[in-house]
Amino acid sequence: MTNGPVHAEVPSIELIMSLQQVLYKEARLLDAERYSEWVEMLAEDLHYFMPGIETRYRRDKTDQVGDTTRMAYYNDNLDDLKKRLRRLETGTAWSEDPATRYTHLITNVEVELTDQDDQFRVYSNFLAYRNRNERDQDTLIGNREDIWRLKGSSYELLKRTIILKQNVLLSKNLNVYL
Amino acid sequence: MSTDLIKKTQGFDHLVNMNEGWVDRRVFCEQDIYEQELYRIFARSWLFVAHDSQIPNPGDFLTTSMGEDGVIVSRQKDGTVKVFLNSCPHRGNKVCFADAGNARRFTCNYHGWSFDSAGSLMGMHEEYCYDPGDIDKSTHGLKQVAHVDSYKGLIFANFDPDARSLEQWLGDFRWYLDILLDNEDGGTELIGGCIKSEINANWKLGVENFIGDAYHAGWTHDSGTRAMNDGQPFPPIDMENSFHASINGHGWEFGLEGVGDLFLLGRPKVIEYYENIRPDMARRLGEMRSKIFGSVASASIFPNVSFLPGISTFRQWQPKGPWKFELKTWVIVNKAMPDGIKDEITKGVMQTFGPGGAFEMDDGENWENCTTVNRGVVTRQERLHYRCGINRQINDHPVLPGLVYRGQYNDANQRNFYQHWVDMMEAPTASDIPYRWEPKFSGLETRDFAGLDGLENGGK
Repeated sequence: MTNGPVHAEVPSIELIMSLQQVLYKEARLLDAERYSEWVEMLAEDLHYFMPGIETRYRRDKTDQVGDTTRMAYYNDNLDDLKKRLRRLETGTAWSEDPATRYTHLITNVEVELTDQDDQFRVYSNFLAYRNRNERDQDTLIGNREDIWRLKGSSYELLKRTIILKQNVLLSKNLNVYL
Repeated sequence: MSTDLIKKTQGFDHLVNMNEGWVDRRVFCEQDIYEQELYRIFARSWLFVAHDSQIPNPGDFLTTSMGEDGVIVSRQKDGTVKVFLNSCPHRGNKVCFADAGNARRFTCNYHGWSFDSAGSLMGMHEEYCYDPGDIDKSTHGLKQVAHVDSYKGLIFANFDPDARSLEQWLGDFRWYLDILLDNEDGGTELIGGCIKSEINANWKLGVENFIGDAYHAGWTHDSGTRAMNDGQPFPPIDMENSFHASINGHGWEFGLEGVGDLFLLGRPKVIEYYENIRPDMARRLGEMRSKIFGSVASASIFPNVSFLPGISTFRQWQPKGPWKFELKTWVIVNKAMPDGIKDEITKGVMQTFGPGGAFEMDDGENWENCTTVNRGVVTRQERLHYRCGINRQINDHPVLPGLVYRGQYNDANQRNFYQHWVDMMEAPTASDIPYRWEPKFSGLETRDFAGLDGLENGGK
């Protein structure tokens, strides 16, 4: 995560509340697989990034998060993400039918002002629960660092870095957005 | 592996019959059979352990598994590679907990026994407590594998002192491997990092899928194909001009149309790049291999490495009991490629064949269900059908080495994979493993031969 400089001014309660509501709304859309509405919340110049995290010794200075040329679960722009989502619209994504049951819990929301007046850094933690068929289930937990940009009376997601707290993904796939 | 280490057991040849074309499902689920696979296959096969590019400098190491044996792969000062067990000879604890890095020493957390990058025991905590004669440090290093060798960047290791050489093990499959590993000057490299995921399925299901199962692609991956390519379906298969080729358990299925796998990656800039180098590729590898490259194709190296030439996913299916494997996913690119092309390929691979990939997601679900149904004791005794194309072998193909079959919708490579599986399960020693295809290119650089016909005139 970048942990950029904290802006001297403190964000207002209203700003914090409205960005928190945006995150909750996004989670609700993802839970319901309302992806076309989710895409409306994403910026044209989106970077959606979830690096693979190796286990390395503390002395090892390999930049596993900042180096975007390394292996990543997601390293997508908006078009890339739309391609992935198009799979669900084909009607032949066999493994998505019956549907997966999803719940995203979003916590630890923290808002920072940035050097750009219309952009806000938002930290959050997530717990995404998936359950399929009879008893197929898993839980994904981690941190996110976002940049949300003011768009009209709402906000659009410009940048998201997701750190999943697993070395081996303890699941067969990632048919979920975090 | 000496035979006294292999537990005596019943035979295995009643579990598969490749003349009739069936496999008994117990090979996918029974613990006893799995344990024997670890002894007879994983402890005696040449196993992929690293790509040269992952450990370029002295002291660079990575950890991986050979079967279920954890090992450290370590680059030496002289540029050679050593592979040794990641287990202290004192009480057995692991001596390295990182996936990769650079280290001068591997030191055990338990009693401070310390090993250099060659695995030799250098010292221990409070060494004075050992009296003269208690320990000979020179014989208490980390246990080395019997053999380490490499082929064009891929480093393999083998626990079996009696193993045949890597060149003999790969045999004429080297001719096909050159399509992936040697299609441009400079060879290949893996993109940094590794994505690992865990799938509740038997390891062989992944290997056999990549070794020959083009058949599933148009159905299982209809959604992925359309997603990546603006709604276009899986490209048509030309059953006359597509093939399975099997060489002692390794297998490659392919068309000759040159573009199918490239199309599935969904990256126009990558297609353009390869079309630009294809004339050079034809000069380098011959006409046939330049057409195989980029076609709808998939391949596995026995026992547990697979890749898609053209899509550039490179992966290993690590066994974790009969019901589970760990999938390690990398991206393989040519060193000579511009960074922009490497980046396009890396993103394309993770959108298709990463855990969140448009293709991969449908595979894992299938393999898990193919495995878990065998918890039923009646179900597991049913035979599975592997007869597709059983009469389609081509004898004496003028160009293609190996056991060659016409039509890439075929179970031929799968049948030959299970034939090699049972050959190894039955063989008392490495020298008893039969060659189902006698190598024709022994001692020769396979890159320089356009095909079998080149053997008579010394190359192309």
